[in-house]
Amino acid sequence: MAGPPAIDRRTAAIRLTVLSAVVVAAFCALAVAFWYFQVVENATYRRMAENNHLRKLSLRAPRGVLFDRDGTLLVENRDAFTISILREHSADLDQTIHRLSAAAGVDELQVRETIRRHRGEPSYRPIVVIDDATLAQVSAVLARRLDYELPGVVVERVPTRRYPSVGLGAHVLGYVGEIGEAQMAADGLRSGSVVGQSGIEKAYNKMLMGVDGERRVKVNSVGREITTLDEVPASEGQRVRLTIDYDLQRAAEEAFHGLGYEGAAVILDPRSGEVLALVSLPAYDPNDFATGIDRATWSQLNTDRLRPLQNRAIQGRYSPGSTFKVVVAVAALEEGVITPDFTVTCRGGGTFFGRFFKCHLKGGHGTVDLRHAIEKSCNTYFYTIGNMVGVDRINKWATALGLTGRTGVDLPNESESLVPSTAWKKARTGEKWYAGETISVAIGQGQVSVTPMALASLYAAVGNGGIHYPPRLLRATNDGGGWKGVEPPAPQGVRLKPETIAALHDGLWLVVNGAGTGGRARVAGRDVSGKTGTAQVISLQGGKAAAGRTEMDLRDHGWFAFFAPRDNPEIAGVVFAEHGEHGASAAAPIARHVIETYFAKKAGLKPYPVFTPPAVPAAPAAARPVPPAGIADR
Amino acid sequence: MFERRLYFHVDWLLLGAVYLLCAIGVVMIYSASGGARLYLTQLAAIALGTVALLVCLGIDYRSLADRSHLLYGFLVLLLVYVLIFGVVRGGGRRWIALPLFNLQPSEFMKIGLALVLARLFGDSRNRTPNARDLAIGGALTALPLLLIARQPDLGTAATLVPVLLAVAFVAGMRLKVAGILLAVAVVAAPIVWTVGLQDYQKGRVLTFVNPSRDPLGAGYQQIQARITVGAGGLWGKGFMKGTQGQQGFLPVAHNDFIFSVLAEEHGFIGVLAVLGLYAFVVLRTIETARLARDRLGTFLVVGALASFTFQVFYNVSMSAGLAPVKGLTLPLMSYGGSSVIASLAGIGLVLNVRMRRFTN
Repeated sequence: MAGPPAIDRRTAAIRLTVLSAVVVAAFCALAVAFWYFQVVENATYRRMAENNHLRKLSLRAPRGVLFDRDGTLLVENRDAFTISILREHSADLDQTIHRLSAAAGVDELQVRETIRRHRGEPSYRPIVVIDDATLAQVSAVLARRLDYELPGVVVERVPTRRYPSVGLGAHVLGYVGEIGEAQMAADGLRSGSVVGQSGIEKAYNKMLMGVDGERRVKVNSVGREITTLDEVPASEGQRVRLTIDYDLQRAAEEAFHGLGYEGAAVILDPRSGEVLALVSLPAYDPNDFATGIDRATWSQLNTDRLRPLQNRAIQGRYSPGSTFKVVVAVAALEEGVITPDFTVTCRGGGTFFGRFFKCHLKGGHGTVDLRHAIEKSCNTYFYTIGNMVGVDRINKWATALGLTGRTGVDLPNESESLVPSTAWKKARTGEKWYAGETISVAIGQGQVSVTPMALASLYAAVGNGGIHYPPRLLRATNDGGGWKGVEPPAPQGVRLKPETIAALHDGLWLVVNGAGTGGRARVAGRDVSGKTGTAQVISLQGGKAAAGRTEMDLRDHGWFAFFAPRDNPEIAGVVFAEHGEHGASAAAPIARHVIETYFAKKAGLKPYPVFTPPAVPAAPAAARPVPPAGIADR
Repeated sequence: MFERRLYFHVDWLLLGAVYLLCAIGVVMIYSASGGARLYLTQLAAIALGTVALLVCLGIDYRSLADRSHLLYGFLVLLLVYVLIFGVVRGGGRRWIALPLFNLQPSEFMKIGLALVLARLFGDSRNRTPNARDLAIGGALTALPLLLIARQPDLGTAATLVPVLLAVAFVAGMRLKVAGILLAVAVVAAPIVWTVGLQDYQKGRVLTFVNPSRDPLGAGYQQIQARITVGAGGLWGKGFMKGTQGQQGFLPVAHNDFIFSVLAEEHGFIGVLAVLGLYAFVVLRTIETARLARDRLGTFLVVGALASFTFQVFYNVSMSAGLAPVKGLTLPLMSYGGSSVIASLAGIGLVLNVRMRRFTN
């Protein structure tokens, strides 16, 4: 074959040169692209590569352990297992969810819903789909934990709250739960953090939370850990000793259950404001919340008509009834309006401003002085002196003794107690105060509404002669360097005149130890002094009577407020028996049991007294249905 | 058949560059597979490829071209056989099971096509290929292309197109004709899109345009490839120290993404070195085409070069996430017996043409 024509050769040569140029240009373009990715953008991609295979795992710090004042364990931590999905490593999320649900025996739809709820989060963050997995679930998942069967499924061990007393003192301790959106922003905490949502858990959350640790691990492409690079261990939250006395707390709750009442109780040490017991019934089991409460339990707690989540001791506001009479007495005595010997003749009531106000004793108490008016709880006497003192001075002295506003106890969401005044009514309704309204206020009805905590604080103050301390629950903390006591709060209130104190103490002593209404709180040799009270329900809620309420719901509440012993009291408090009708029959026996237990413990007498309902039991005990969410049915 | 004097005309430089690339490939396969025995298979393939290279070198290319229709026909038959009896792996029926490894006829089709097209255009009496030549060339290309596309292996099928285009271009195809072909392609693209492409193929293209469309599926590979390359930096993380390739973030790292592994472990410097070697091989081959003593030689070299260059360029682009993920190997370096053997055979043809440039 002859050589190709010259012209043809030239064309080929030109075109080959063109090809060469194209090739050179293409390789240069590639080199530039690699230079850009590898040199210019290197830091970005290196970080992405690290994110690929380096994972920071949060190590949840165990929350601080809680003790009672004597060191009895109230709240501790246990290890729970959570099963999570790391979406980043789960190439086929649907398949993973399906297999995981089948392996662990959980509802697939619910798992999907959980994933959906967290879909906005970065995909390298594990989403917990099974809280508090059982050992069976954990082993079922681990057995299938092959990279290709359940990629991106992680089992983690997390410290979880345990409340060994199962509901005892639930409202003091509170409960924990996953942090909410608002909280996250406010406290700068991470999504998924477990924080206190109520009670002490919430009030001292920062102290209890500790500092989460962190572990940096190397993972492979399906998220399986290969090695741990380094680890900053979690540091446990501070240990906390509460002022609560476990034995008193239990005594109080047992007494409530023994009589079958819901309600509240607050027991204080009047010398320091320390809360020895705080009861609110019905209660809940904080353990239910520890690993994320299930929807059914949550909605049941929220819709329960008896409102088990409400802390009645600091959030319930009720008419103090006759327990309020000491405030009127203090006001009248301190303002010099009367002396303790001032007498009023009771004929079963009295007429004020053209209207007849009844005394509870139809025939009347006859002529009584202050001491006996307190002893017999004579309404007519207090109508009279209340009218003489006027509502504003009652308000003034209630405030001086700490009955208005919040007590400042270290629990979240305390309600304000209210004792009306002319200024208050003006501001509230724009109307002037009618003197006739003072008559109701004088016996603790009308607009007066107080929390059990405030009333307990009041009786601590009366026992102390006017001085009181803001109630508190924190006794000591331990951050690992030994127990440090909490600074005692500064005393508040005013020192009352000796004759005021003497008269009040005498009257309140007579209520229990004389011919008064508080006989069921008597403890031999302990000089219990106190006052019963009745908070009217029907007058306040008369309109609601028809709305499906049972006869029980319309019964009055019973109060018993006390301190003991009469001189230099060591214990003070209030018992509020919901729908107990009378303080004398419903609340006083509970208080008696607590006081008895207190002194038995102080004297070192064990076993502590067992609660026995009074010989003539209060009628409601039998009629009362079993409390739905209380401890009684456990 | 192998005259002694020809020995002195073997392009040792090109041969050296080629075997250097093979060696780098073996090292990278060793690293990417975490020291598994895959590299031994690759060494065996290189040995077999060397035999193929010697065969392609030894026989005068003109004799080979004379019998090219037989080779072409045989390969077409193999492609048909694969479609019916082939081994299915990774969603495609591409392999013929052989004792040592699976044979992938489509890889060898590139050589066969280069030979048959070189003969077609080399024999033509026309100074520039006329419509008849182009039509025959087109048909010769289309037949294996469609067979390979049926497997389905669109990537390998596509590598046949540059063979035709490059040979026709160098043969003097009128640029007007090239323009018309381009126009036809643009018009045909939407039709191919709707009729010709399967859903997974469309998905790959869509994902390439927008990788976050499917970050855990097809887009995942693209994103991971880019990360792998970018994380390498200037000097790389060092041999066996790459985290992306080693820990399975990058799929088939030892095969389609071998260049990404190189980029991660040996950095931009390593990339430049290997790109330089490839550029040298390609430019040296173009020079061989220029030096060829006849049109047949020129076209044969260009044809052998075209699919090689296309594949290098495509695979390297893909390695950096610059092209849709296709199962296209990096010639000489990627793990894969058929690819290595066919590539070395192609190099053999190039050497063949060069060393016989002075003979008659």
